[in-house]
Amino acid sequence: MIAAGLPQRFKVGFDPNSQIFSLAGTIRPRSIDEIAESIHALREAIDAVRGVLYIDVKRLIQMNNTAFQAFIRVALDACRERSDLRLVIVTSSVVSWTTRMFRHLSTIEPQISVEVYDSMFYPGQDYFEDTSFIPILRAQTKLTWRHERTILPRHGMRPGIAVADICCGIGDFAVLAQKEFQPARIVALDHSKPSLAYARKVAAEFGVTGIEYTYGDASEMLLEDNQFDFVACRHSVQVFNQPELLLKELYRIVKPGGRVYITNEKNSHCLGEPRAQSIQWTYNELARLLSNFEIDVEFGPKSRRYLADTGFDDILVESFMVTNLDGDPQDFADIIAGWEKMFADMAMRHGEAPEFIERFRQGFRDHIFAALHPKGYAGWPIWAASGRKPL
Amino acid sequence: MGASVNKTTETAFEPLLQFDMEMEDFLSDWHHCDHVSSYLARMISHNRTDPVRHSNFFSSALNELLEVSFRGGTTDGKIGLSIYRQGATERVQLSFPCPPGQARFYREAVSKTRESDAQARYLDAISNDLAPSRESVLLDLAVNYDARLRLDEDAAPAITLIVDLPLEGMVS
Repeated sequence: MIAAGLPQRFKVGFDPNSQIFSLAGTIRPRSIDEIAESIHALREAIDAVRGVLYIDVKRLIQMNNTAFQAFIRVALDACRERSDLRLVIVTSSVVSWTTRMFRHLSTIEPQISVEVYDSMFYPGQDYFEDTSFIPILRAQTKLTWRHERTILPRHGMRPGIAVADICCGIGDFAVLAQKEFQPARIVALDHSKPSLAYARKVAAEFGVTGIEYTYGDASEMLLEDNQFDFVACRHSVQVFNQPELLLKELYRIVKPGGRVYITNEKNSHCLGEPRAQSIQWTYNELARLLSNFEIDVEFGPKSRRYLADTGFDDILVESFMVTNLDGDPQDFADIIAGWEKMFADMAMRHGEAPEFIERFRQGFRDHIFAALHPKGYAGWPIWAASGRKPL
Repeated sequence: MGASVNKTTETAFEPLLQFDMEMEDFLSDWHHCDHVSSYLARMISHNRTDPVRHSNFFSSALNELLEVSFRGGTTDGKIGLSIYRQGATERVQLSFPCPPGQARFYREAVSKTRESDAQARYLDAISNDLAPSRESVLLDLAVNYDARLRLDEDAAPAITLIVDLPLEGMVS
């Protein structure tokens, strides 16, 4: 468990273009000498900037008082020497102690302010966190699970392993995975406190125990390296504006030999008969609209490339179509009705013309029509992909 | 290294675990503070509402206490660490041998954490000191972790720091 002479597990960086000095990882030195280089780097960063220097400690997992006082000494001295300097310390709401420790600096020194990075972890997040969307999310998982329960073992899911469900949302996939596959451990992380509260409530009501729900930013997680045999991230890589950062984090927490499993859509391939043209038009426009929010709902087929670029090997990709024939067609129709409401709202907020919005909504209504038509067919394609972290 | 994890008991607080180690072994490597705090924090946080964040927060506080014992302890005897729980609070009971006369220093430092000017003292320390003193570390626990501290000197020359950490409510 304990090895002598381990290197410090932290990173220090400075981006002169954005004037951001960042501290990340665990910094627990015995003496200041051990971090002299990093202290010097902060001094140099301060000397290099004009106006504001951002000190980003969002990914600072641990820092002892020795390091804390050494770094703030440099910051306080710099403010006393330079009246033109402003320091903005950016903490994360995920890491409780950082905000509590750093908040004092603005009391001590008016040139220092402390900002807590909290609600907006990615553009468009507030749309997906609207609690009215919860029934839609539940219906989506209900329909996709019919496919995924047979797909998952091909991608490495099996009993007795350590599993993480990153961007777990309302936690229903974690519950289903736990019941079906009995993992030894399952951690479910999401950045939405209301979704996690809902997840905990549902788990308690159904007597489900053992799922470790945790609040966190998926692109900067507190979870340690190489912890999990299987990491799932469903329908979420596509909504992050920097998918490569998220995949890098998933790669970090999975064990060598373990697999990361992602599902994503290609919404322009949603289809239906009858009224195929109207449906096609709306989903093409949906992909265009969401790109304005830096959401790539065309991501599905890109999974292979992104997994390879992240460093995974043995990449597996398959697709499946959720359709109105998967159980009760009304479930499918309910999902599309939820989409119509949410995406029409986004179109309005993006400033689309009323005529566009009406035509846009009609495509969703036609998709519902196809789903409920006695001879109709309606589909929502999903790409499931996984990659292995090399040994 | 001669470490062991055993059950123990204490009135009102539910015992979670006890960790003992020869002080000489503990003092042989600074990284023991980091490793022991991270490992034990993960163990006791598993059934908290948000185990990952509770573990991170608890580890941060426990590491500071272990560093106090590392910097102020002597090699004779054992370091003993017991963790208890009552509701949203964990109690850390940390015993370690220290040089004669040090008990008074700890008595005064602990007493200062409970005074009304604890925050002002803490701010003064981090504003002006080059490196943290053991006193300012204890103030840090009181100010930033809402910890309540007391000292038990029954097993002199060892001292026991008893620290109540209400972190569950702060994390959730």
